[in-house]
Parts: sequence; structure tokens; C-alpha cells
Amino acid sequence: MGTATRGWGRAEIARRFEAGHARLAEEDAQGGSEPIEALPPAHRPVIGDAIESLGAGGSDFPALLRRHALLKEMALLPPAVAGSPASAFIPTQATTILAFKFSGGVLVAGDRRATAGNTVVYDRADKVLEIDRHSIMAIAGVPATAWEMARVLEHSLQYFRRTQLQEMSVDGKVRALSKLLRDNFGFVMQGVGMVVPIFATYDFEGDGSARLYFYDAMGAQFEVAEYAATGSGSPGVRGVLFYENRWGRKPLHKLREEDAVTVALRALDTAAEADTATGGVDRHARIFPIIKIISREGIKTLPERQIAARFKRTVA
Amino acid sequence: MIEEPYRWVEAIANRREYIETQLAPGSPIAALSYRDGILFVTIGRARQKLFEIYDRIAMGAIGHPGDIERLRVVAIELASTEGFTRSAADVSLRRLAFYSLSPVLKTAFEQVYGAPYLARMIFAEVGAVPDDDLFLRLEYDGAITANGLAGDAKPLRSSVISGTARATEWMEELLRREHDSNCTLQRAMQVALDAWSVGSIPPPEEVARELPSREALRKHREEKLAGASIEACVLERNGVAAIRYRQIVGEELKGLIA
Repeated sequence: MGTATRGWGRAEIARRFEAGHARLAEEDAQGGSEPIEALPPAHRPVIGDAIESLGAGGSDFPALLRRHALLKEMALLPPAVAGSPASAFIPTQATTILAFKFSGGVLVAGDRRATAGNTVVYDRADKVLEIDRHSIMAIAGVPATAWEMARVLEHSLQYFRRTQLQEMSVDGKVRALSKLLRDNFGFVMQGVGMVVPIFATYDFEGDGSARLYFYDAMGAQFEVAEYAATGSGSPGVRGVLFYENRWGRKPLHKLREEDAVTVALRALDTAAEADTATGGVDRHARIFPIIKIISREGIKTLPERQIAARFKRTVA
Repeated sequence: MIEEPYRWVEAIANRREYIETQLAPGSPIAALSYRDGILFVTIGRARQKLFEIYDRIAMGAIGHPGDIERLRVVAIELASTEGFTRSAADVSLRRLAFYSLSPVLKTAFEQVYGAPYLARMIFAEVGAVPDDDLFLRLEYDGAITANGLAGDAKPLRSSVISGTARATEWMEELLRREHDSNCTLQRAMQVALDAWSVGSIPPPEEVARELPSREALRKHREEKLAGASIEACVLERNGVAAIRYRQIVGEELKGLIA
């Protein structure tokens, strides 16, 4: 009795060191193919794994999930063949989102519509998601994938802060989302999991200002100085934002908050005019876009009342 | 050596004595409910001793930094995995401590050829009202002392850890007399600091029946604070944000101890 189960023998450590930790993640998962959800919580081998994994740099949450087979990287597959069941499947899509910097920080807005082909699936979708106290991820694309991505990202940032006892840098956060997008590219190639997000945050370390990024489906991040828009209604939105920024009464970054809200509502209304997949403002059901503002103090969600009043006065 | 059962018992007893000696100089930690949350307080030199585990759970520990670190990260991994796969509402301190941490600590402690964990931990989970708060003290051998589990008729709304059993008793005695779970943060800070002081004051030569006077505690604390500083954090009861953990530093700390 009493043999050491926690310690590794010297040879074992040397072997792992040579092999690198990545390849060993699967071997380390005790119980082989048994999925962790199938076990009652009390019997999970998580704790043993967790202790062993510490050497592998215990700050990467997606790696932790993969170790427990809770997150899978999609293999790259060819696009679905015409006529196959995969090609007939029409995924739900969330549409237009936009963000721009103004005098009070950065404003992020999204319409509420989710569609699948010609069908409106949902008219109260929330595409503007809070990731931490100062970061927002807005999503255009397949919500099933996007919401999961947002959950992984949110937990990744919290997990990093809790284990490492410091906040992740802005560049680290931006890269974390980029990595999730790249891991998802297998789905994109099959035509079912395209996500094109906008990421907005506040940089306390650097020059102390708002930072704004958009991504392509492969995970390239593009930092923008003024505004970003993605989704099916984005051509209309970009037109409005470009026009306002160049020929409006003031450039976007000088707008006061209420004028910024007006611009956002007008842009979404414009997008909805030509793009059926963009909800814009539903005047009958009184459904308004979601608008959030990131400033030094944190994230503020504008109350629907305030948006409705602004809409009535300056847009309708 | 341990083929014979009584040798094993002896080995375990030796190991217990060794660990207790190692933990004895540890600076006490007090956690207690107040109206708007749970307050953790300790006094130390440099190393951080109070930690965020999950949205509503925090931890404090004394012992070897390496062992504390391993257990802390395990607790965070377990809570984060559960919070991600199910929901934040499914993360429970009771399950974390009883089903995951305690068995591992016991196994490590009783395997006499392996190293035990040199750590004594205190956990708290904030509830909607002080009566829902849960406090757990987790020992190096896996033993758990809980305050606030369902079925606990009149639990203390606090918990403490310290280097010795006597210090722990005194701290609990002081909290039993002075602490009201509906008090303000300011009041909770005073009581917690008194509890820390009573737990760290050197024991008198003869067996004392009475707690040291408040003056003696204050004097002792001021001496200690010359070479150390107060570390404090709270789990807030009514936050809009999901994350309730907050460190108390700077001006806020100064205001509370004034």
C-alpha cells in the first residue's frame, strides 16, 4: 500500500518533457473514451487530471476543456456536396451588428433578428454580448456557434484572471477570440458555422482608450480606428457610417452620446430597408436594437425606453 | 516499515504532528457575514492569501505556497468546468469541497510514501441573505467543518483558520460574542481584525479562561502591522454583475480600518 500515485517517476517526467504536453493531453484523460458528462460529478477524474495538467501552464481554458473532451476542434472538411443532406441544411443566422468610437467611448449595436433562409426564426435575439466588465463581443453569423464561442471566451478571460491573479491584456483577449474562430474553420468550410464578430474593449494598460476590432471567418483580426460593421446588412450600415463620419455635422469620434445613438439607429434602419434579414426597428411590436456603451467606468446597456424616445424624435 | 497496521497508525500520527508544526506559525484568516456580503480578512507580509475561486466563492489558506497553489488551481478548474458545461448556478461550494477536494486531501494524507498537502483552507459562498451564506474549513487530512449547511440549526455565520487549535477556538469564541451577521462592512472589519488578533497573540504561560482585552488586542495588532499589512476581500451579496468577488484595497481599506 501507499505507493505514490501523485508523483511522477523521473522517466515519466522526462518522457513528457521530450514529447511536449500537447500530444499528451489525450493520453492524460483518464478513462479513455468515456465522455466526462456521462459520469456523476462525484466520480469525475477531473481532479487528478487537473493536478497533472499544472505543468502544462494552467491558464488556458480551452485547453482545459479539450483535456476533458468538452470542446472539440473541428477538422477541416470539404464543402458539402450538392444534393447531400448537409447541403440542404439551412442554419439560423444572426445579422447586422455595428460599432463605432464616439466621445464617450465605444458604442456597439445590433438588430434583433435571426433568420434561416427566408424564415424569420426569432425577433428578439441578443447579438451584443458582454464578455467581461469592459469587453463586448457582437456577433453576426450562426448563433449556435457564436454564443458557444462567447461562453468559451468569457470563461477563458475569467479563468485566466482567477488562476494568474491578473487581468489578461487587450492583445491577449483579441488573440483568444481569433484562436476560437480559427478552431471553428472546419464548420465554416461545411457552410454551417460562419461567425463574423466585432470585439470592443477598453485598454487600461496602453493609451487608456477604447479599442475596436472586427474579424473575418478565419480569425484574422482587424483593428479599426473609427467604425466597424458586419453581417448581411453591413453594406448599408457602412455606407451610413462612412457618410456620417466624412460629411456629417461632426465626425463620429466627436459625437455626444445621444447623437451617437441616433446614428446607430439610422444605420440599422437603413440596413433593414434593403436587407430582409436585418430586423431594424419593429414599430408594431416595439422591438428596438440593443445598444451598449463601453467607457472607462464599464459597460452600460441603454434602457429600451431611452432608445424608443430617441428613435421617435430623430429617426421615425 | 508499514507492513504492520500499528506502524501505519504511528506513521500517520507522526505525519499529523509534522504538518501541525509546519502550519502553526500561519497567520490566521477570518471570514464573516455582514449585511451586504461576506468579508475575508488576514494580515500578512507579501504573499497573497485570499483568492477568488468563482463568481460567489472565495478562499483563504495557510500552509506551503506550492500546495496552496495546486489546490487553488484545482478548485478554480473544477468550478470553471462546471460553470461552463452547466451554468454558474450549478457551481456549488458544498459539492466542490465534499465530493472533490476532501477525498483527494484524505488520500494524499494517508499515503505515507507520498507527500501530503501542507495546507489548511477556508472557503465561503455568498447567498441571497446572511442565513444562506456557507462557510467551510478544510483540513490537510480532508476533514471539513461547515457552518451554514442545510439542517444546521444555529450555525455561526463565520469561519476561521489559524495555526493552532487553541487559536481557532479563541477566534470562534470572540466571533460568537461580538459578531452579528447583519452588521455593516465597517463593523465586520473591526470584528474580523479583533478575531485575527486574538488568533495570533502569543498564548499566556498559564491556561487563560478569559479572552484578552480589546486594548491588548489592538496593541498586539499595531505591533504586527509595523512589519505587515492587512489583506481583505469581499463577496458582495447584491451585485448586478455575476462576479461578486472584490479585493478591498487603497482608500476603501483605509476608510474601513480608520
